[in-house]
Amino acid sequence: MSSSAEDYNEYFRVLELCSDASFSDVRNSYLHLKALYSGDSIATANIPDEFPEGTRQNILGQIEDAYSKLVGFFEKRGRESGCKDRPAITFDDEFKEYLAGMTSFNGPLLRQIREKLGIKLSDIASYTRIRKQYFEEIELEKFSSFPAEVYLRGYLTEYAGYLSLDVSRVVSDYMNRYRLLTGK
Amino acid sequence: MDNGRDREKRCEIWAIGGGKGGTGKSFITSCIGDYLASEGKKVILIDADLGGANLHTFFGVSKPQNSLTDFFERKLSLNDIVIDCGIPDLGLVTGALGSLDSENIKHVQKLKFFKHIKSLDAEYVIIDLGAGSHGNTMDTFMLADKMIVVIVPELTSIENMYHFVKNVFFRKLKIVLDRHGLKDLFLETWKNRESHGIKNLNDLVSHLKEGSVDVRSIFDKEMSGFRIDIVLNQLRSSRDIMLGLSVKSVCMKFLGFHARYAGYVEHEESVLKCINKRQPFMRTYPYSNVVKEIGRLSDNLIEGKEVKTSEFVCRRL
Repeated sequence: MSSSAEDYNEYFRVLELCSDASFSDVRNSYLHLKALYSGDSIATANIPDEFPEGTRQNILGQIEDAYSKLVGFFEKRGRESGCKDRPAITFDDEFKEYLAGMTSFNGPLLRQIREKLGIKLSDIASYTRIRKQYFEEIELEKFSSFPAEVYLRGYLTEYAGYLSLDVSRVVSDYMNRYRLLTGK
Repeated sequence: MDNGRDREKRCEIWAIGGGKGGTGKSFITSCIGDYLASEGKKVILIDADLGGANLHTFFGVSKPQNSLTDFFERKLSLNDIVIDCGIPDLGLVTGALGSLDSENIKHVQKLKFFKHIKSLDAEYVIIDLGAGSHGNTMDTFMLADKMIVVIVPELTSIENMYHFVKNVFFRKLKIVLDRHGLKDLFLETWKNRESHGIKNLNDLVSHLKEGSVDVRSIFDKEMSGFRIDIVLNQLRSSRDIMLGLSVKSVCMKFLGFHARYAGYVEHEESVLKCINKRQPFMRTYPYSNVVKEIGRLSDNLIEGKEVKTSEFVCRRL
């Protein structure tokens, strides 16, 4: 255990966190660093002159790797401490039809789906270790409280994944709506 | 450069720089000084912006009786030119207006200046540096126990800061290697950097370290403590808070040295009003957010801490 603990410290370091960081710290830092080195920030806008593309890709690779290792680390720890598992959600035909009839996912619809499935926001929150309030705000389409778009996208992915929905479709519909509503 | 390890009760020196003008270095210096003094610390501020000294104006001091000119030209001791700026426990060494510019200061004078700074009768000495990357500015910056950069959420400010800090790091590396008789190695490597495949500071450092065990141990001993503290000023929205974290990340991952995000200060109209009226901000608007933020960032600097991550996600303006 001691040698693998050493490795995890390195993954925390790559994500610029202390080794006692929580899973939500890990996720937040991952989302932030990924956006930063994908090149959408004034903090990195002028560094390409000096730093070759390869270095940037390298850093992005390290960030991805550290995150996936740490996800595993927290999942394992969660199982060991008897943390609540995600329920296996299976849709019956009627529900599949109901989902297929949706033209576009939005906040109120997501809420309706969740309620039909009998899932509480607090379940999603305790499983994902993301504050319940963010999921409430996704359903209410209250975007102003997210510090950056990457968080909205990240939390939405978790939310849709928990409900076993088609994540990429939910995210794409929802983000389109987000842009429409916020004029971005 | 010896980091003053031999000190008994030496003051702690903080230097505030950052490359670009107009980012609020003097304002931040004046506020941190005021905060520390109000917390019962004995503080002396030094206005080392020799080109455009006006730190005294932030305290409503109009014509300083003494200034650094008296130190450099009339040979007074630094302790003797500390003036009262109207706040208990807060002394001020005003910059030289006019006659002096940092390029005219000779090496011997500089060393004397640094010696006097270290012997000032205070717990904290905070040095406000001018813009630019002049050698004397960088040397004064390196002298400090805490090297603090003030940036604003603007591309040019961030760019200049990277440039400044990189130059400081480069200069320090050169001085350290020079002291160990390795100046030629350093200069030769840098001169022929293309043939060594060296594109940036990080490459240079790795190349030097790989080439010699000596360099590696010198580096670990004298350069690994190189660390800057980042202060993000004039935030316009809570989204900007993240930017400090981004800049810190670039310092660590691209430039290759430690950095801390010590704090942020939001944009507030009343700041400009105060400056124009020559009123000390901390005392004029004691209940403003800016005052709270200055307090938090000063505490972080004292304790070597950073902005808490919870502030990024949970805070709303």
